Amino acid sequence: MGEFEVHRVRFFGLVPAGVRCLACQPRGARLALARTDGAVEIYNCSANYFQEKVIPGHETRSVEALCWAAGERLFGAGLSGDITEYDLAGLRVARSLHGSGGPIWSMAANSSGTQLAVGCEDGSVKLFQVIPGGIQFERNLDRRKGRILCLSWHPSGTHIAAGSIDIFRVLDVSSGQTVQRVMVNYHVQKVKRECVVWSIAFLSSGTVVTSDSFGRVQFWDWERGTLQESHTVSTSSALSLAVSEKEDSIIVGTSTGATYQFQLLPVRMGSLEKRWVRTKPFQHHTHDVRAVAHSSTALISGGLDAQLVIRPLMEKVQKKSYDAALRKFTFPHRRLVSCARKARLLLFQFSQHLELWRLGSTDETGKDGEVLPLRRMPEHLVQLKSKGPEHIYCSCVSPCGSWVAYSTASRFHLYRVQHKGDSVSIKKVPKVPKLLLPAYQLQFSANSSSLFVASSRGSVHVLQLLEPGGCRHLHTLRPPSESPEAVYLLAASADGHWLAAVGGDWMIHIYNLKCSKHHCTVPTYSCAVTALAVHPLTNNLVIAYSDQQLFEFSIPEKQYTAWSRTVQSCGLHTVWLERDSPITHITFNPKNPSHILLHDTYMFCVLDKSLPLPDNSALLMNQSTLKQLPETARQRQLHAFKICKKFQPLLFADLLDEKCLVMVERPIMDIKTQLPLPVQQKKFGT
Amino acid sequence: MARRLKAAAGKRGPPAKRGPPAALLGPPSSEDEADEAPEQVSFGVAKEAAETQRKLVGEAARRHRELLKEKRRRRQELFAEQKKRKLLPEAVLQELTAAPPAGTDGQTAAATPGKCHGGDAPKQRKGKIQRQGQAQRRVKKDKQRKRGARSKGNYTAVCLKEHGLTGLHQQLAKDFLNTHLYGPDTNRVQANEFFSLENKKNPVKKAAVQFVDKSWGQEKKQRAARFKKRWLATQMKNRV
Repeated sequence: MGEFEVHRVRFFGLVPAGVRCLACQPRGARLALARTDGAVEIYNCSANYFQEKVIPGHETRSVEALCWAAGERLFGAGLSGDITEYDLAGLRVARSLHGSGGPIWSMAANSSGTQLAVGCEDGSVKLFQVIPGGIQFERNLDRRKGRILCLSWHPSGTHIAAGSIDIFRVLDVSSGQTVQRVMVNYHVQKVKRECVVWSIAFLSSGTVVTSDSFGRVQFWDWERGTLQESHTVSTSSALSLAVSEKEDSIIVGTSTGATYQFQLLPVRMGSLEKRWVRTKPFQHHTHDVRAVAHSSTALISGGLDAQLVIRPLMEKVQKKSYDAALRKFTFPHRRLVSCARKARLLLFQFSQHLELWRLGSTDETGKDGEVLPLRRMPEHLVQLKSKGPEHIYCSCVSPCGSWVAYSTASRFHLYRVQHKGDSVSIKKVPKVPKLLLPAYQLQFSANSSSLFVASSRGSVHVLQLLEPGGCRHLHTLRPPSESPEAVYLLAASADGHWLAAVGGDWMIHIYNLKCSKHHCTVPTYSCAVTALAVHPLTNNLVIAYSDQQLFEFSIPEKQYTAWSRTVQSCGLHTVWLERDSPITHITFNPKNPSHILLHDTYMFCVLDKSLPLPDNSALLMNQSTLKQLPETARQRQLHAFKICKKFQPLLFADLLDEKCLVMVERPIMDIKTQLPLPVQQKKFGT
Repeated sequence: MARRLKAAAGKRGPPAKRGPPAALLGPPSSEDEADEAPEQVSFGVAKEAAETQRKLVGEAARRHRELLKEKRRRRQELFAEQKKRKLLPEAVLQELTAAPPAGTDGQTAAATPGKCHGGDAPKQRKGKIQRQGQAQRRVKKDKQRKRGARSKGNYTAVCLKEHGLTGLHQQLAKDFLNTHLYGPDTNRVQANEFFSLENKKNPVKKAAVQFVDKSWGQEKKQRAARFKKRWLATQMKNRV
């Protein structure tokens, strides 16, 4: 693997926001997720649960409910009282309508996706029609006192169940009247607290399922207003519930971080009578589980500990493969750190500010595994606060360390950084060319003379950076076929000749920068691209896909390289393909042209193209065993993948120079101690 | 003299606590020094003296109370005056409440770009004080503008979204969530306690997760850092 001095960075204080809402696309493969800071993310379930789209949040935006309607359209509503439609191609808020009922607590679409019901603070349920240009207010249903915290449509679309405090109501959609009002709290011994119905579901059999703040899941017959079954799952609140499409399985999330599955099972073998039984308990989260979803094959839960957990159901999975594994996502699937190699600077992107740090240095050397004392400590040089309430989309620092750029939904900022000895001064570049914002990705060229701005509709703007501090729009590169999706990844070659851009339609376009024309397109693949990079010497484009496949495409020859074809014919090792997190950064070692360095959240790998590829019988992570073998035996067992799992969870890894690596880690415990308070769990003997 | 005073005080008893006896209130020169026996004062006289004494003290207290009352009243009046001064004269407000012509409307809108708050100024007289204050400010600005010449020509009038009530509703909603999720009944515990349980129960005991709290001695550390910077700077200057 080589000997490297590793700068182990743990001062990136990223605290991801907790998961607030989850929504499975009814007849599609996408999962929408909303966080407490207003950010909305889309995960593609068929592309190995890759986080393909991210819409950053807003200071005033709070999302309390998220739902898919009319197939591909995503709507959200929050405490600001607005119903917003998200533009998934342009990654921004498309339009928003103020539902004048005060803060909106819940929203649900009917099974055909044509109507939206919204539950407001003032106790009214409002109906909106989903029309091609947006949504239109239809009418108000019966309004009673008490905020509507949860809503559910009956699958036929004739009735709506609305949960409030101490009661839940069933409304008839056509007449708008409340046809049943059921009190939820008369079974509790000491009724000092009010019983909050946190979530509700309406089954087609006429059963209403409620989960409340006493930790109970109750099944009601709404027509008679009677309680059929009551299960106490927890001593703290049961905050969320979701029903499967076949209505035979329910997932419930609680305040303690535990999730439970209820299944409709026959009372005796072969009996026709069925009962709801609490079958599986899970403890995947440490904090409140405020969002759950039930897809056709998996139980999905998102907690305030910022984790998204996908638990496939064994009985639904066809074969025992990696599909049946538990998936946990805490960190975003894109880079939040950029590195200026020559200046040894790191730029950290937070949701509303940027931090520029200079790495420390040491004079000593040591043996493998030794911790070297620092002669100079890492220094926090600049903190740039983004003006306005919008969150940052992307940021970048130039390789020489003298330019910093970032973009929010409506503003683009470029700064010139001057290094005077040890201190740093930063100045804003005043006249930035007017581009169609937001910028989805920013990338400086290798010689820091131009800035590439990824924009909507597949286009990339090329800006020329002028000394001493100016910027000029050179031209815009467009793909040959029109695409509504935005570009989300960029890679520039070291000689400044080529630029690769990936859009939301998963097409990789390569542009020739010398003549500003489209050069070629990489053959389409059925998965999303998670990282790409251009080799400085050979101009080969290395691509990592979300299903963990690796390709190498030669740009001058416009075809895959021989090595790439070998990899595809041999196939990658199963342990490599069964990794949880996607590769987010690829880089190269100029001194060793056959090396490719890549990393994902849990490992760092140096891929040596000159060595043979491992087959499935060989051990993939063999670095520790190789160290103990004598030289001759080592030569026999060497293979191309040299993996190090010492540093995890990794947010970023890069090569500073031929002997120096930087690894940005974020220990999970550091995040968990900064989250809101968890519920106490009484353990025996403490 | 002192002995005589003491004796006199002793003879009189409780009423004398109120003050010096009536005999001493009189001019001392009338009494002879040294050899004369203390004056014989009858009970009735003494009682009267005590009464007058009490009355005087009562008067003094009453005057003091009156003074305070007067002060308070003056203060209230001052406040009322200041409040009234902030508002425009009744006449102008009455005029505005009556149908404002389209011309003035346009002018008020144009004269306060960005200060418009989604409602007419007159309507908000019944609203909150801040809204009222803002409305008055708006109209005042208008008056000022009318007096002087219009200096700037390029501006656009925008009507901002009404923030007053929605902010309040949002805050109430957030408070509701907080009380029900993190309120007194919810059995929440500190992160340190929650995560350190495992460390303590392991066969190999480890320290708590937040064994050292980074916020301890924060101010001292900051002061030390600043001092170090200053000292280094002076050292560099002296050396150079």
